[in-house]
Amino acid sequence: MAVIETRDVVKRYETGGETLTALKGIDFAVEPGEFVSIMGPSGSGKTTLLNLLGLLDDPSEGQVLLDGEDVTGLSDRERTDSRKRTIGFVFQNFYLIPTLTARENVEIPALFDHDPTVEERAVDLLERVGLGERLDHKPDELSGGQKQRVAIARSLINEPRLLLADEPTGNLDRETGRKILEEFVSVTEQDVAVIAVTHDELVNEYVDRTVELVDGYMGSDVPTNGGAAGGSWATPYDEGASATDDSESTAANAGPTATDAGGDGRDRTEDDADGDAEFVGGDPLAGDADGDDPDSGGDSS
Amino acid sequence: MNLGRRFPSLLMARRNIGRTKVRSVLAALGIVIGVIAIASLGMFGLSLRYQITQNLGDIGNQVQVSPAQPEQGPVEPLSEREVRQIEAVANPEATVTPLQTRFTSVTFGPGESEDRVVTGIERPSELYTAREGTIPDPYRSGALIGSTLADEQDLDPGSTIVVNGSTYRIAAVLAPGDGAGFGSPSDRVVLPPRAFASREYDQVTITEVSSTAANETAMAIRSRLNDRRERVSVSDFSSISEQIGSTFQALNAFLIGIGSISLLVAGVSILNVMLMSTVERREEIGVMRAVGFQKRDVLKIMLSEAVLLGVMGGLAGIGFSLLAGMAINHFLVGDFTLAFRPQNFLYIGLAFAFGVGTSLLSGLYPAWKAANERPVDALRG
Repeated sequence: MAVIETRDVVKRYETGGETLTALKGIDFAVEPGEFVSIMGPSGSGKTTLLNLLGLLDDPSEGQVLLDGEDVTGLSDRERTDSRKRTIGFVFQNFYLIPTLTARENVEIPALFDHDPTVEERAVDLLERVGLGERLDHKPDELSGGQKQRVAIARSLINEPRLLLADEPTGNLDRETGRKILEEFVSVTEQDVAVIAVTHDELVNEYVDRTVELVDGYMGSDVPTNGGAAGGSWATPYDEGASATDDSESTAANAGPTATDAGGDGRDRTEDDADGDAEFVGGDPLAGDADGDDPDSGGDSS
Repeated sequence: MNLGRRFPSLLMARRNIGRTKVRSVLAALGIVIGVIAIASLGMFGLSLRYQITQNLGDIGNQVQVSPAQPEQGPVEPLSEREVRQIEAVANPEATVTPLQTRFTSVTFGPGESEDRVVTGIERPSELYTAREGTIPDPYRSGALIGSTLADEQDLDPGSTIVVNGSTYRIAAVLAPGDGAGFGSPSDRVVLPPRAFASREYDQVTITEVSSTAANETAMAIRSRLNDRRERVSVSDFSSISEQIGSTFQALNAFLIGIGSISLLVAGVSILNVMLMSTVERREEIGVMRAVGFQKRDVLKIMLSEAVLLGVMGGLAGIGFSLLAGMAINHFLVGDFTLAFRPQNFLYIGLAFAFGVGTSLLSGLYPAWKAANERPVDALRG
């Protein structure tokens, strides 16, 4: 059974008398232990989707199922509880609490549980992500990669089944980014699903499959250019889920995206299918997502 | 750390206060000033009252009984039996002093004789102290004169005066200021009762142990002696003493009211600091909500922060208030240890409670605001 599933999810925002539809019917599912990336241009609804998957927001229409259970329309309290039980978060800006040490930051999600084993678990997790020596350091004494590893340890303290990462490599250099992504891969080996929203092509080297979001539609469902997609949109991703070779899975969804997005510079995904490494190396977006990427810049402000 | 583990919100609050030290200290300073204002104004009022009641002597404890003016005929003085009755009604610890007065001629030394009031008191040592000489006890012979009169007529213990034809040696000159209830004894002439032919009294003064007891005694005398007719008129000063008390209570309430204004200002500054803090930590709070903090957890953290500011300010305020109280008592009453009277601690406790309460109230809105921020909005930045 999927850890998290969305069924025909629509999300609308009311802004200044206008209704903006951010997500226009998303069907999406992630199995335990899967590593999925969600990519898409600014305003494509990536963050909205991540918020819905993370139970931070309710969809306007459709259902979100967590472990097969409908979690739409839950009270804030119930949602917070399920979120705490099942979902871990990793953010682009790490969002560690500056006054707390690494270990205390990892303990934060379990802070009010009065659980005596929390401290031990926090130390274990920090050792697992290679920060056994930095337990009592404050965030400002840690490098970006170390902070992100603390954040990963924090997201795992409540033994979640799903880890949501918002631009996890966005503020890191490539080398550190790789280490973080390897950390995610090792997390998935423990049967935890990881969903990363990202611009960073580097991520796609590690994921099991990539999902493209454009204008509130997912992948092949994009109806632009005369509905080139057609058919059932979820299928290619379900196939991709079993594929471990990521160039293959990228190729599977590169086709439909490339046809509609060719005009706005998204054709790199197509190139990606045949010349992955060399293209990514030459792509300024991948090299420094924070500085040059318009979307991530907008997210962090 | 163990304490933090048991009260995690306290740990977070303490760290957060430490994050912006100067700002936290300034916010707490408001509470410090407010607590000092309330506590020291309260103590000031208390000391003022203490000082004034000290100066008034035990006026409030005194009851005066004199024969009432009957509807017809002259005033009938109090008989010895009636004095006994009064003694029976008063508390055993109270002193009952019957007085006789005569308007008669007095000659001081070589001068002309003049007519003045002469008082007969059985045990004057209970009412007066001597400035010069000693008041005999028991009082059988000799005259006592007031200090002003002694100075006017140049009299000392040992001089003689002639009252109504009999000569008396002066035993003592009375010290001024005592026995406030009687009026000043400074121009009084006191003789032993045996100088008066009769055993009838014109006035009885009862000095009770407290103003409440004085009031009770006064009422008991009225009901006992004024049973059938208006035999005696009883006046007691307990109502005056109560009036003084309530005046000072009003004064104290007013002073504390002024002090409270400074706490109000302190509350506003804490409100401001907490609001700034929630705005600055918006994303942090969003993350805490995202990773599973309930609204009430956020509420707890923010309120702990406000209360912690109040407690810190309050404790510092208590320290300074005690110093201020010692200074006030030193200069007003001359005894700084009076700062540690239990009533003072009542004011200090009150001020502390007000300080912490103000912080809690000021923290409510920012805490509520922080707790109800949707994590989605908070994380969007």
